[in-house]
Amino acid sequence: MLTRQLAIAEYDFRRGRLLPDRLTRGAHGGYVDYAERMLSVYRIGVGRTRRELHRAVRHVFADEEGCPTRRIDAFCKLLDDASDFDGDRKGRAAKLRQKVFRLAAPHHPLVERADRLFERQRSAMQSDIAAQLGRSWQQIEQELFSDVIEFHRLVKFDGYDSPQRLLARYNVAQVQAALFGAVHMTVWASSDFKTILRYAKLARLMHTITRDGLSGYRLRLDGPASVLRQTRRYGAAMARFLPALVACRQWRMHALVEPRRGAPPLSLDLTSADGLNSHLPPPEDFDSQVEQAFAEKWGTDRREGWLLERETEILHQGQKVFLPDFVFRHDDGRKVLLEIVGFWTPEYLQAKLQTLHVFRDRRILLAISQQASEPFAQLGHEVVRYKSALSVKDVLARLHDYGEEKKGDKSN
Amino acid sequence: MPAPAARLSFSQGTLVLTGARPELVKQFFPDGPWIWDRRVDAWRCDAIWHDRVCRRLDEAGVAIDDEVPQWQPVRWPHVDIHPLRDEQQQAVAAWMKTMRGCVVMPTGTGKTEVALEIMRRTAGSTLIVAPVRDLMYQWQRRILAGLGYDAGIIGDRVYRVKPVSVTTYDSACIHVGKLGNQFGLIVFDECHHLPGPIRRDAARMSAAPMRLGLTATPERSDGRHVDLKTLIGPIVYELPISAVKGRTLADYEVTRIAVHLSDEERAKYDGYSRQVRAYMAERRKDDPRFSWEDLCSSTGRSPEARAAMAAYYAKKSIEDRAEDKLRVLEDLFRLHVGEPCLVFAGSNAMARDVSRRFLIPCLLSHCRKQERAEILCGLQEGVYPALVANRVLDEGVDLPEVKVAVVIGGLASSRQAKQRLGRILRRSGNARARLYEIVTADTGDVQRSRRRRASDAYEGTRHRRRA
Repeated sequence: MLTRQLAIAEYDFRRGRLLPDRLTRGAHGGYVDYAERMLSVYRIGVGRTRRELHRAVRHVFADEEGCPTRRIDAFCKLLDDASDFDGDRKGRAAKLRQKVFRLAAPHHPLVERADRLFERQRSAMQSDIAAQLGRSWQQIEQELFSDVIEFHRLVKFDGYDSPQRLLARYNVAQVQAALFGAVHMTVWASSDFKTILRYAKLARLMHTITRDGLSGYRLRLDGPASVLRQTRRYGAAMARFLPALVACRQWRMHALVEPRRGAPPLSLDLTSADGLNSHLPPPEDFDSQVEQAFAEKWGTDRREGWLLERETEILHQGQKVFLPDFVFRHDDGRKVLLEIVGFWTPEYLQAKLQTLHVFRDRRILLAISQQASEPFAQLGHEVVRYKSALSVKDVLARLHDYGEEKKGDKSN
Repeated sequence: MPAPAARLSFSQGTLVLTGARPELVKQFFPDGPWIWDRRVDAWRCDAIWHDRVCRRLDEAGVAIDDEVPQWQPVRWPHVDIHPLRDEQQQAVAAWMKTMRGCVVMPTGTGKTEVALEIMRRTAGSTLIVAPVRDLMYQWQRRILAGLGYDAGIIGDRVYRVKPVSVTTYDSACIHVGKLGNQFGLIVFDECHHLPGPIRRDAARMSAAPMRLGLTATPERSDGRHVDLKTLIGPIVYELPISAVKGRTLADYEVTRIAVHLSDEERAKYDGYSRQVRAYMAERRKDDPRFSWEDLCSSTGRSPEARAAMAAYYAKKSIEDRAEDKLRVLEDLFRLHVGEPCLVFAGSNAMARDVSRRFLIPCLLSHCRKQERAEILCGLQEGVYPALVANRVLDEGVDLPEVKVAVVIGGLASSRQAKQRLGRILRRSGNARARLYEIVTADTGDVQRSRRRRASDAYEGTRHRRRA
């Protein structure tokens, strides 16, 4: 990630918008070439110091009319992030310094020109120390501060397999940097809810979930103290969360950002159609073989009036959320949720039991592996057992029962 | 059915009240602090309210299940604190009356001992918040020496929480969500740092009922020091610097020495100045109000602006690293040979220049704990004759008795100046402490020095022209 100091954005106070720096094919066509050259600076740069590499990157942009210094520094940061540098963990430089300074200490002060009072000349001391340590003074001087961050040497670089990747990362990184000042974020999504909520939770954000139209949800994300005051405390968490969102499909995001203290807050808006590319892979469609096999067997057509949807329903109570694997929707408006409980570990089953207990009054059909022995039946949900694959016929039979027994129940 | 008991819990730096009827909250807390949080269907407020909320509920006779306090009594393995001087005793007594407040004492008058004595008396879970990592480790050592307790460390990539722990402002702010209910006493060292917009969370998201702030200079240029009253408590004791000059502290003298750029440096310097001025003048033809900030923001649009900016930094670097400063330094080292000497540089690059020139240790941020300790210890024991530092020694780091300090560059703020000065004023012996300030004549260095000396500690500066 970039640091706050490397953020570049346009503040449009008139329209109340914040536009993070964005490199596009149209306006910044030349950057593919720059990116390629920056990458080769690092690819062939093993052994060079950070300062030398950064100078070389700056040199790439020497004739570019429209590139702020900060953008160049941001590229350096992103390239450094994908690099291994020799940080001198063992403290070689520190040991060398100790030796040199201790040898020189009794002769303090080293003077430029010796006189009757102070006879220890700097140059003489240097050659004396060099002789005692058995290496040239030039070598010693070069290593003396090699643990200072700008003198670290590149050991390995294996980031960004194409210039486009680097540019894509830059664009996302600038949105992230803008989000450091965010006070809250709202996401409208119509798929990939599980990924969105999982990453929001990983970033320790709190959510407020509301329905948005027929198939979508609105998720407001902030932190515990957000209810007490407008605070930027959770901006970094929102920035961490962003790449996961960018990897999802069909979403829209709005964040309120305080670019600096005292300035009016600005809107930062983004959608999946804006064409940002995440360095994270897109969400997996299925968590398990059983789920995937079942969905493929069922197909996309209605069976006895039931249509199968994948993870389209969020059950939530307070900060607990649960996304059953499938939703069945009937022509007549009935809706049944299906959760497949495989056999993983006792902890997994225990956690699942607790979740289902919280949502025990919802209409959830449980498909339970025969190897799972936990007392799921006590929860009061309908249960269908399966051995290695879940049978469409068994599920249809249960759905049929729902229709008979619980007609008119339109909860959820 | 009886209503379930109200429950008070700690949630990431906030208090959460569940099972309390809205009428109850309205009746007993008409003016806050509770806010209804529908995300969790409960009342929420900052953890700093904990003891006031509890007192209010207690007065009202409302029974609650309070899960917040996780702090505990602590037994000190081995107490060894120097007998306190009068002013230190007064400070302790004043704080003990309210258990919430700031103690203002000049650098070098033993604030740490005041805190240790308060810790000894309160004998409970304590978190010490220090401005920088060095100071954090220093507190750890002082607690070990004074109370025999090996305190936990939170910061510098270590996360070892113990009932008594030391941390930095940044780490405290980041981890307060996890730690805010672990400590009954929280000590903010150099507490003028606390009122930053985010940093203050370290205080308001902590439930600690007892709070102690320590500083030599409570004022902040942004005026936010007034918030210390709510975040920590009122100033309970104040000892002005003039009250201790020449008594508790060594007497001191400030000498300012102007140096000139060499012809070569001057030529370059003037060239860069012209470049910056020409660029600004050119831009002001179009826009008379074109400012420095505008220049910074236009580096993206024109290579000329970038060049002007680069010229400005090159110019500053020449002032900062003027060769002549090294020559004056040689003279001062000669003059004070045999006396430990501290040099403060204006940049890391200059600090390294000095270190390379005189082969004396330099304390920079990249130095690890072990090396810093070795250097400081070496200066104290006389192994090293002098050391040079940039900013790491800005505040409170315990230094061996040093009678000579040289400032060869630095920031303009007067607080930094006061603290740097305080460093060499350690109480000891009869020798007068001396502070030298080397500035480059006819450059921005002079400006900065003037601002630096706006502090009362610099009264009586003697000017000296070098031939």
